[in-house]
Amino acid sequence: MRALFALAVRAFPRAFRERFGAGMLDVMLADYDLARARGRARACAFVVATVLDALVEGVWERIAPAWMDPEARARARRWQVKAMLEAWKRDFAFAVRSLSRAPGFTLVVVVTLALAIGANTAIFSVVKAVLLEPLPFPNADRLVHIGGTAPGMDLREGLGVPDELYFEYGESVPALEDLGLYGTGSSTTRVEDQVEQLFFTRATPSFFTTLGARPLLGRLPTEEDDDRVVVLSHWLWQTWFGSDPGVVGRSYTFARETRTVIGVMGPEFRFPDERVAFWIAWPLRAAQVTPGGFGPSVVARMAPGTEIAGLVAQLQPLARRVQERLGGPAPYVRIMERHRPIVEPLREHLVGKVARPLWILMGAVGIIFLIACMNVANLFAVRAESRRRDLAVRRALGAGRGGLVRSQMAEALLLAAGGGIGGALIAWAGVPLLVHAAPDAVAGGFRSAPIPGLAAAGLDTTVLLFNAGASLVAACAFGLVPALRSSGAGLLASLRQSGRGVIGQSTLARDALVVVQIASAVVLLVGSALLVRSFWQLSRVDPGFDTEGIFTFQVAPDREFADRASLSRFQYAFMDRLAAIPGVESVGFITLLPLDEGADQSFVTTPRLEASGAEAPLVRHAGAGGAYFQTMGIELLSGRYFERVEEERGIPNVIISKSAAELLYPGEDPLGQQLRPVAASGDTWYTVIGVVEDVLLDDLRRESPEPMVYLPAVAGSPAYVVKSARADRLAPEVRAVIREVIPESPMYRVFTMERLAANAMASLSFTMLMLIIAATLALVLGAVGLYGVLSYRVARRAPEIGVRIALGAEGRAVRRMVVMQGGRVALVGVVVGVIAALGLTRFIETLLFGVQPLDAETFAGTSIVMVAVALLASYIPALRASRVDPVVALRAE
Amino acid sequence: MSDNQAPAPLSSLEYHVLLALASGPLYGYALKEAIVEESGGALRPRAGSLYRVLARLMGWGLVEEAAPAKPAEPHPGLERKYYALTRHGWDALRQEAARLREAAVLAERRLGLAADKA
Repeated sequence: MRALFALAVRAFPRAFRERFGAGMLDVMLADYDLARARGRARACAFVVATVLDALVEGVWERIAPAWMDPEARARARRWQVKAMLEAWKRDFAFAVRSLSRAPGFTLVVVVTLALAIGANTAIFSVVKAVLLEPLPFPNADRLVHIGGTAPGMDLREGLGVPDELYFEYGESVPALEDLGLYGTGSSTTRVEDQVEQLFFTRATPSFFTTLGARPLLGRLPTEEDDDRVVVLSHWLWQTWFGSDPGVVGRSYTFARETRTVIGVMGPEFRFPDERVAFWIAWPLRAAQVTPGGFGPSVVARMAPGTEIAGLVAQLQPLARRVQERLGGPAPYVRIMERHRPIVEPLREHLVGKVARPLWILMGAVGIIFLIACMNVANLFAVRAESRRRDLAVRRALGAGRGGLVRSQMAEALLLAAGGGIGGALIAWAGVPLLVHAAPDAVAGGFRSAPIPGLAAAGLDTTVLLFNAGASLVAACAFGLVPALRSSGAGLLASLRQSGRGVIGQSTLARDALVVVQIASAVVLLVGSALLVRSFWQLSRVDPGFDTEGIFTFQVAPDREFADRASLSRFQYAFMDRLAAIPGVESVGFITLLPLDEGADQSFVTTPRLEASGAEAPLVRHAGAGGAYFQTMGIELLSGRYFERVEEERGIPNVIISKSAAELLYPGEDPLGQQLRPVAASGDTWYTVIGVVEDVLLDDLRRESPEPMVYLPAVAGSPAYVVKSARADRLAPEVRAVIREVIPESPMYRVFTMERLAANAMASLSFTMLMLIIAATLALVLGAVGLYGVLSYRVARRAPEIGVRIALGAEGRAVRRMVVMQGGRVALVGVVVGVIAALGLTRFIETLLFGVQPLDAETFAGTSIVMVAVALLASYIPALRASRVDPVVALRAE
Repeated sequence: MSDNQAPAPLSSLEYHVLLALASGPLYGYALKEAIVEESGGALRPRAGSLYRVLARLMGWGLVEEAAPAKPAEPHPGLERKYYALTRHGWDALRQEAARLREAAVLAERRLGLAADKA
């Protein structure tokens, strides 16, 4: 019985046993004697209870020690900390020495990690600045943007909220705490001798209260202000007014009219985006509103606790109610009947379409990080393997397992720190490049806006913490597992083994690492291949006009013209000067340029439609003048172009696009037919004099062209188009002409059509470029990983291969054997990667154009590329294997 | 150090260990017997539990190893260790006793009231 009790006492930790073990045993035995005296059953129960008690208490003592006298405890703690610091110091010093003896290994690991950590840090800094940083408004989570749509009507998305509906929202929606109306534009602004085309926002006083804005200087507009007052942006105040606080109260020409500065905003207030130079007060009163227009945007603050779905439900019935009360033109009524509010969180509205590409990039660099860690883990495992005997000797000499793990982790931490510092440097250099290369948040000319917050991306404390965290995770990922494995059970066994190359059980684990690497590379390859194909398809889209050799700009004359004819004469004189520039072939203008400002839209009707009472269709329209169609290369299908006299006098003739002809006059000859806009007062009918090819107006992704009507125009500030082989170098000469003809006027929105077409693809090309870089990196890292594993295996199997060769195996057979091994691993990786890609490509579906996310050719092509690269990576170790000299290999035993 | 301080109130086993040692230094088995007796048989600690409580009280500085009050009887086997209260141990016992007395007074008063009503 004593032995049993002694065994139970062993549940206690040694320190406790040494102190109290004898006493416990004493008590147990004394009690046992008593219990036995009272019968067998008593004795049995006593033994069971006593042993259980000792086991439970013993285990508890191990978890939460009760025993340790205070001095010993403090001493132990001091000693432990000190000893640990000493040990780490020793291990780090040792790691520095041993790494400096392996400069190749060190360099490869640090560079791999620096690339991976740098890419992650850079993308994270952008994600943080754009997606994670809260908007600079109080309680920004309750701010929403309200727009509208009318399903079933062929309208462009983002219909806006009509003024009267805005007032209805304000009056009868309890879920809205506050809401403001705003619209943006650009116009000539003149302060003393400085003249420029600037962006501005027209905003109701409630716009400022909704956003919780406070001015830096002066005050904000109130309901009493008219539109003769402006609030300056911080940047305009700094650059144009030299941060002069005395500017408040002075008047200048803002947006063509004299307005008084009443306040200056702080640098953090940049709404709707950082280009806005000033805000003009918009005194909108419910009584003045006439139904019929959809233009501006609504920003609103939801009451606390309101859900977006709930808000939508409250807004939904109001459009119909307003329309029933106020009426309006027929097409407007039809839209209002179908009007549906679209409510988005303000950030989502501002960040728009960049959120998805950014998260895709974050995912891609995350995969790169994973691959890099695996590569380094592989290198580490090989290194640990080769030091197995060394570690075993240290273990045999009394080093604890913790010590062995620590000494290997010291190397991992040092390398990760190197990688982290390198990564921070890469990010520091790379973020500005990234910011520069990034596309606009909203692509497409006039509506385009920079990604909000992007300019603020950079290395700050959070980003550096992320960088440090990533480095630490990397160190654990590639250091800890090999360290634990090579210090654990079976280590001593390797002492007993000879150096004979037995392939360890770690082969499987290492193959699995390579499989994951290759699979990740395949995912990135498929993604980037799909984007490349989309880019290719998109760049081959025919927009209906030439994109090459066309220079475009806008300019507003510096004087008012008495009538249409004199403005037209001025424009023709100006265009003649432009045409005289050497190398210029033709010059024209349009009120709204495709891919930049798109075009207006209106309901038009024809005599036949009016007679039948059918719905008037919606068409796009713009005013054209000069040699617009010839310059843009828009083909004339029938009829003729405008003549100068038609523009001068505003003769009601129109040129329509092919699809407009098919829509308005199906099966008829459109020439000589008539049409008129529904909303227009009076009954001027326009006569069709020509039909031209369709063009894409807003972006290149539109599948079917929109019907378009061109009117003969004169316009104050149209977009001029100039055809010249030197389109990209024409700006200085055009500027010189402007300085001569209209010296006071700024030239703005200066582009080539080529640039506008590229802009329309910017979001795609940016994501594509980033994914290509990521995929290439992944491909290389994956190949290097496979190469490393095979090289290692060939080296370990050299004796066995030597025997084979000595027994007459041919070099070719040996090569085939090794390549097949690599090929098998690669094939498994490709299969896993393809399966993963099948699930993941839907994340880039919205970016794709003309190619399906599960495009079989792309999947097959990338798989072949990956297998080919893998075989190539296997061939070098295979070549080495076939050159094994049996004599050398066997002598090494 | 905070983990070296005795919590208030003590557990009943902790209290009874202090209470038993207040009669003078005791060795393990004698301590156990005293606890069983003084608790009226409510507490019958087994060896593991008893020694862990003892270890904890020593850790808090309430109990220490000591020489026996009178020369030990001859005992076969290992030399017995005796345990005694430290100065802090006496204080802790006093405090705990006062706390229990207050609680008991309160309980009696309420029971008395209840009895009056009945």
